[in-house]
Amino acid sequence: MCGIPMSSIKARAAQFAIDWLAGTYLVAMLHRILWAEVIMGVPIPFAWGGPESASLIEGVPDWLLYLTVGSVIAAFASVTKASLALVVQGKLPHSSWQRTVALHQGALLVSLTFITGWVVTKISLVDMFSGERLQAAGRIFSSMLQPECSILPQALNAIVETVYLAFMATVLAVPASFVLSFLSARNLMKSKFWTRAVYLSLRTLTNFTRSIEPLVWAVIFTVWVKVGPFPGMLALMVHTISSLTKQYSEQIEDIDPGPLEAIASTGARQLQIVWFGVVPQVFIPFLSFTIYRWDINVRMATVIGLVGGGGIGTMLNQYQMLAQWHEVGLIVLVIAGVVWVMDYVSARIREALV
Amino acid sequence: MTILEVRNLSKVYPNGTQALKSVTFSVEKGEFLAVIGLSGSGKSTLLRCINRLIEPTSGTILFEGQDVTHIKGEELRRYRQKIGMIFQQFNLIGRYSVLHNVLMGSLGSIRTIDSLLGRFPASLRQLALQNLEIVGIADKAHVRADSLSGGQQQRVAIARALMQEPLMLLADEPVASLDPATSHSVMRYLGYINREIGTTIICNLHFLSLVREYATRVIALKEGEVVFEGAPTDITEEWFRHIYGDEAVEVEIQ
Repeated sequence: MCGIPMSSIKARAAQFAIDWLAGTYLVAMLHRILWAEVIMGVPIPFAWGGPESASLIEGVPDWLLYLTVGSVIAAFASVTKASLALVVQGKLPHSSWQRTVALHQGALLVSLTFITGWVVTKISLVDMFSGERLQAAGRIFSSMLQPECSILPQALNAIVETVYLAFMATVLAVPASFVLSFLSARNLMKSKFWTRAVYLSLRTLTNFTRSIEPLVWAVIFTVWVKVGPFPGMLALMVHTISSLTKQYSEQIEDIDPGPLEAIASTGARQLQIVWFGVVPQVFIPFLSFTIYRWDINVRMATVIGLVGGGGIGTMLNQYQMLAQWHEVGLIVLVIAGVVWVMDYVSARIREALV
Repeated sequence: MTILEVRNLSKVYPNGTQALKSVTFSVEKGEFLAVIGLSGSGKSTLLRCINRLIEPTSGTILFEGQDVTHIKGEELRRYRQKIGMIFQQFNLIGRYSVLHNVLMGSLGSIRTIDSLLGRFPASLRQLALQNLEIVGIADKAHVRADSLSGGQQQRVAIARALMQEPLMLLADEPVASLDPATSHSVMRYLGYINREIGTTIICNLHFLSLVREYATRVIALKEGEVVFEGAPTDITEEWFRHIYGDEAVEVEIQ
């Protein structure tokens, strides 16, 4: 219409949006963290609901102010080209003043973020290294270094439960992941509309279930099937299915299409094409992923007990609640030993496979 | 007798590339037809349209007088069984034995469940060994396919195609990844199959010297169009420049 191509308008809009976001963030952190918390010592909560009196301008919410100042910064960047978005894309010439300004803005942004992180996580060197605190550290470490060996049989029983829990979660997940991975491999599913639909919905589903950590799944399953190793196994299984499906299907997407084509050209059926064209190419990597996943699952199974998922984690949780640190020390040693052995064995097996 | 007739075949890829432009030609039973042309001239697309590994955009393909342009499912499978194909990269399953690879050629003729369980009838195993005999590597039947040299792998691929007892064999640059001596050996096996078994062969080739030695007829593609059709001896210097461009120099393969 006005001679400016659509793509250029899009790029300008994206640039403005990035500068606006960065500017708003900068102003907000300057006010809330650097000014209010670090300099004045009066913290303001991040989200809405801060005390009204804290508003910079009466009757105007702070966030509106931040957005306004942010938009002014973005407008300035847009007009003068002293833009953070442009410098990130490498579009500003060296030794131009715009680049210098934008780089300084970027440096300010990074340092403010670091300060914010420091403040928000309440990092305190005093809490860590004062005499009283060091004494406490000494207490826990010395008790843990004198593990209580009388509970060793009990701990071994619990770790066996943990290892088998991880094993069952892996074994039960493999067939499901195997089938699902073919259905969520883009190269096998892109041909028809309905197969694409299956591919997309499976990808979305596994991405979603994978973004929920096993610990959270364990919380859900302890409500469903009550506390114990069973909900822990279910939690690991769900997470393993989505993780293995992703790894398997990426492997399938990486295969050489040649053998598929060759087998299709002989007049083979669809199932035969997949079975003989894909499976031989992915079998070894699948096995390797699976063993590695069992290894990961053993680690996860040790902590899943903390939320009621059974095994050694549950035991650890109990002794920690009772503040029996000698017993905790023994349990930590048992976990470290078993995880180390698993790690070593799985690495050796995977080496032998390649 | 005409075995294959291709009429006004066109292929436009989703990205807009026009690989074939109204290609028309026919193939007589027992011919050894060479298809020549630069890389990207549409040779591979043409071969894959014939056995429908690639769907043509428009045009008609007649095989033994039957229109196969739009057949599907079981009918398409039975059609493909009549046509063997070999590839530049051999496309064997490296982890399988040579014999197992050859048996892959008979997948279409046995039940799916039997093939998945690896139950190939003794008669097919016998046939596979005979086909390995034809290409001269029966002694390698039980070694892993990826332990063979390139030329040997291509012969395994030929034996795999023979399992289909094909009426026609499509060969897509069968010797382009092989050295000159091995190239001739593979081409000789194709020639043998063409003359002695009577299989019609359509073969994409790079080297004119191989075309002159083995083909009975040639078509040349340039930017998706047929620009030459005739006997191998008809390709003069002038035609050569027309097909391959003015800068081209013919290279001999000894």
